[in-house]
Amino acid sequence: MKRQALTTTLIAYAFLAPALVLMGLFTFYPVFYGSYLGFTDYTVADLASGEGPRWVGLKNLEFVLGDPLFQTGLLNSLKYLLVVPVLQIASLAVAVLVNQKLPLMAFFRVGYYIPVVTSISLAAVMWEWIFQKEGFLNWSLQLLNLMNAEGRFNWLLNEHTALWAIMLVTFWRGFGYYMVLYLAGLQSIPAELEEAATLDGATAWQRFWLIIVPLMRPTLLLCSLLSTIAALRVLEEIIVFTGGSGGPLNSTYTALLYVYNKSWGNMLNANFGVAGAAGLLLALVGFALSYLNFRLTREERSER
Amino acid sequence: MFKRWITAAALALGLSALAQTQIEFWTYYLSPNFDNYIKSTIADFERQNPTIKVRWVDKQDTMERDLTAAVALGKAPDVVNLWQDSTFAAAQNKILTPLTQLVNRNVLNQLYYPNVLDMFVMDGQVYGLPWYGWLDQGVMMYNPDLLQKAGVDARTIRNTDDLLAASEKIKKATGAYGWLPPVKDPNGASFLGRFFLEGLPVYDKDGKAAFNSPAHVALLQKYVDAMKNDIIPQELLRKEAFQLSNELYSQGKAAIVVGAPTTLNRVKEANPDLYAKTRIGPAPLGKAGIQTGGAMSLVIPSASKNKSAAIRFALFVTNRTNQVKFANVVPIVSTAAGSENDPGLKAKSNDPLEIGKGMNSASGRLINPGFKPPKNTDDIYKNFNDNIEAAFLGRKTPKQALDDAVAFWNANAR
Repeated sequence: MKRQALTTTLIAYAFLAPALVLMGLFTFYPVFYGSYLGFTDYTVADLASGEGPRWVGLKNLEFVLGDPLFQTGLLNSLKYLLVVPVLQIASLAVAVLVNQKLPLMAFFRVGYYIPVVTSISLAAVMWEWIFQKEGFLNWSLQLLNLMNAEGRFNWLLNEHTALWAIMLVTFWRGFGYYMVLYLAGLQSIPAELEEAATLDGATAWQRFWLIIVPLMRPTLLLCSLLSTIAALRVLEEIIVFTGGSGGPLNSTYTALLYVYNKSWGNMLNANFGVAGAAGLLLALVGFALSYLNFRLTREERSER
Repeated sequence: MFKRWITAAALALGLSALAQTQIEFWTYYLSPNFDNYIKSTIADFERQNPTIKVRWVDKQDTMERDLTAAVALGKAPDVVNLWQDSTFAAAQNKILTPLTQLVNRNVLNQLYYPNVLDMFVMDGQVYGLPWYGWLDQGVMMYNPDLLQKAGVDARTIRNTDDLLAASEKIKKATGAYGWLPPVKDPNGASFLGRFFLEGLPVYDKDGKAAFNSPAHVALLQKYVDAMKNDIIPQELLRKEAFQLSNELYSQGKAAIVVGAPTTLNRVKEANPDLYAKTRIGPAPLGKAGIQTGGAMSLVIPSASKNKSAAIRFALFVTNRTNQVKFANVVPIVSTAAGSENDPGLKAKSNDPLEIGKGMNSASGRLINPGFKPPKNTDDIYKNFNDNIEAAFLGRKTPKQALDDAVAFWNANAR
């Protein structure tokens, strides 16, 4: 019996091995080496002359923390997190709607999922049209009498709106993905609960907030965690909408763009030490937020 | 007997294979459009140098990244196509071979226009051979209908002030923009070019940044006002001028494009009717009366293992014969000395594109980069652009913006 258990374990590891090796090579090793570089002085010149990284302790971290551009970046990354709750509640709500057995639901499910598989560079062209001065957004606001012709402006060129405009694109891109995860979660809610509530006279609104949201909390928290990390790691949108400049006036300059611009973005002038240190700081923020999320899930589980 | 022949032949083949050097040549965004030209140039070279084989790789967006990685992995390419800023960055980080180690400076001085060769000189060393070039102003292309509607005679547009004045008239009369000047772009410091074109210096005689005099401030103010009054579009802060010019001109929303005549290729595709109507004239210049421009370089990484074969190939690709051939494929500006008199560069018909090409390709002696990038280029240009942007968005006065940019520049150019 014992022997059989051992065999089973070995077989399990054999199945895991290819993935583990690949992850070790392309995920864990870069993570550890990158973190190590954060404590060293290492630039392209060193790389070219074959010199290794030189240990400098906390010097890079001090530099990064004192760099106003990184501070702006971190602040913008934190602002970006505001997309998370809105995105999660909205995709859950829509998941509930498309979960109903009504005609055309398959069409809506596919429709909401299309942005997930649309290339960002293509989507960017469309969104640029929407956000420009003569664009759809301003036109709609004028139609609703929320704006007059003189008040029109390009949403990507105003430092108060650019980040929000890009967040809207992230929202649009992520919406379908989370909706599918929630749809899967909704399948596990027993239909009797909702039926009973309906019989007791609960409105649709009450059913959503008092039955679906509490029962879906594990999925909600998982999705929030995923989307928090995704929000911290947002880069594609910023690069396609601002050409990597993080403009206007650095209002869309995120912490990850800082890491990118110190390394890959300007490769011939790359400073891997500074990029590593900034990446490490950003990872710490990510860890802290993930920990918070896990704590919330745990409390939730023990309550039940 | 036959066997002996075979053996001898095999030996000879084997020996020649041993004696052959293979070099790797990286270009930047030239495939697939110019496959034929590059391949035939390589074939010509290999015919003349039977012991050298050239392996061609076209790099695109990832050029700088791949170059750094290849150098780090000990697999450096031998000849690489960079541009001025990247040549400087690579030379500063000691990735490149000073070419005077491989070929006499006097020889280089005779082969290329000195103004272009000088673009790739850093601390007295040549780091790149000039390859194909371009002029920023090039020629003026315009939509005659829009100009007529606004009552603007193209012949009266002689300098950048005229261009701005015409743009104002055109905007008021037609709603379309006139000219779209480069004021900011993500990869450079366009507004420095505006200073230079108007004869305002970027550096003082000690090499310190000095672009905050009242004249500089007044110039920036002029463009800031133009943007505030929507004579030039605000979108110029987000998109490169050439890209936006292309888009708006093809849609009939901009009347004038100043730049390389190749711009018309895109207009031809997007709006053939407008292409047929388009007129061409000489580019209006700034007060300094000069054209700015740039050129690509061919560099040899210091990690190259075949430097003598590499320099031989780089000299071949950049020689006048091959640059003139290239200019006949696509209207580049040849940077090889003497190109202005080359019979291969005379206009061949009356097509607007042909005339533009003729005016353009032989004008390498006019290429003027204006100024050399500072050391610590990325940080300094970023700060410069942020300040220019702040001025255009009304968050700083032009004086404040330029004072701040100069202070940062002088504190950070190592």
